[in-house]
Amino acid sequence: MRNCKFEEMIDKYLLNRLSEDEKSIFEEHYFNCPSCFEKMVERDELVAAIKYKGQEIFKDEYVAEAAKGETWWEKVTSFLTPRQWTTVAISAALIAVIVFGVLPMLTPTSPQFYINEDAVRGSKITLISPVWESETVPSKFEWKKMGEDVDYKIYIYDNGNVVWDDTTKDNFIIIPEDIKKTFASGEKYSWQVKAFSPEGSLISVSSKVQFKIHNPE
Amino acid sequence: MGKEKQKSQLEEVFVKFKPIVTFRVKKSLGAYNPDCDDVANEIITNVIEKIKKGEFRGESSVGTFIYTITSRRIIDYIRQKSKVLKHVPEPASYPDPQEQIEDKERAEMIATAIKKLKPKYREVLYLYYYKELTREEVALKLGISPRRVSERVNYSQKLLKKLIKT
Repeated sequence: MRNCKFEEMIDKYLLNRLSEDEKSIFEEHYFNCPSCFEKMVERDELVAAIKYKGQEIFKDEYVAEAAKGETWWEKVTSFLTPRQWTTVAISAALIAVIVFGVLPMLTPTSPQFYINEDAVRGSKITLISPVWESETVPSKFEWKKMGEDVDYKIYIYDNGNVVWDDTTKDNFIIIPEDIKKTFASGEKYSWQVKAFSPEGSLISVSSKVQFKIHNPE
Repeated sequence: MGKEKQKSQLEEVFVKFKPIVTFRVKKSLGAYNPDCDDVANEIITNVIEKIKKGEFRGESSVGTFIYTITSRRIIDYIRQKSKVLKHVPEPASYPDPQEQIEDKERAEMIATAIKKLKPKYREVLYLYYYKELTREEVALKLGISPRRVSERVNYSQKLLKKLIKT
């Protein structure tokens, strides 16, 4: 038997899902279409029975559904289909391999910022002398050159307090005689150099190096 | 209009349209509204009178003629009621057919038959009619097409018919 095109409205009508207009159209239709009316009555009996005895009929489904609603794990896992979960697992494994297997094999390089051709931000200033003990009060302080056009600022500390500082563009500095005289024998001093770009931003800081003087002049 | 033709029309009204009118009235007024039978009888009487008076002139089908009378009467009823109750009755839901023995027995039979269905049919009936999900929601939940949902519902109905007959 050929299906009437209104048949698909039967369920919607019974479940009150039609708009007012659709409802009128369908109601007029079933007054004229014995086939639709007959099917609707049958369907109505089915729906009524389900509504009436549903809890008993669908005991299994009911329990399954209730259990599903209770566990958060079910909720989480049902968020994706098993196939999608497989994809997620494979991707996670791949990422793990890349992060823990491949990346450590590449030599890590710290980020470098070029101020000019030679001066590299982040590289260390290596102090050359004096680095430990000195017979006389050192007059020349020397460090490794970092590049052209770098301003160095040198500090000399006594117990953490700056006793003298000066700036230069060379990779060494000669300290004035009157400052030299203030150094005491057996005392420990430390010195440090900071490098600045021509614009005045700090490029690098050396570590503090101690020196000791045995025989002051 | 010939007497014979009129007589056959009147018979048709009784045999064929009485159930349709009753269904329509129950759907609008609520199946357990005690006024349903009265309203339905009134409509049928009204239709018969109109046909006897020659008011049905064949401009539309008999079905549409009766549909129009039925709709008007229902609107009148709701209007009257809402004057008293200050609200329009809700559209018919599916209440407990406990009180009507015949309906109850029928429901029991259908329920027993549904229990015998395979889970794949039962789950569709459960989601679609009991949980009242839309066809599309059921389809999504079961991972099948909406068309398949309708097919399963229709097929379930066929199976149930067989189960109830045997």
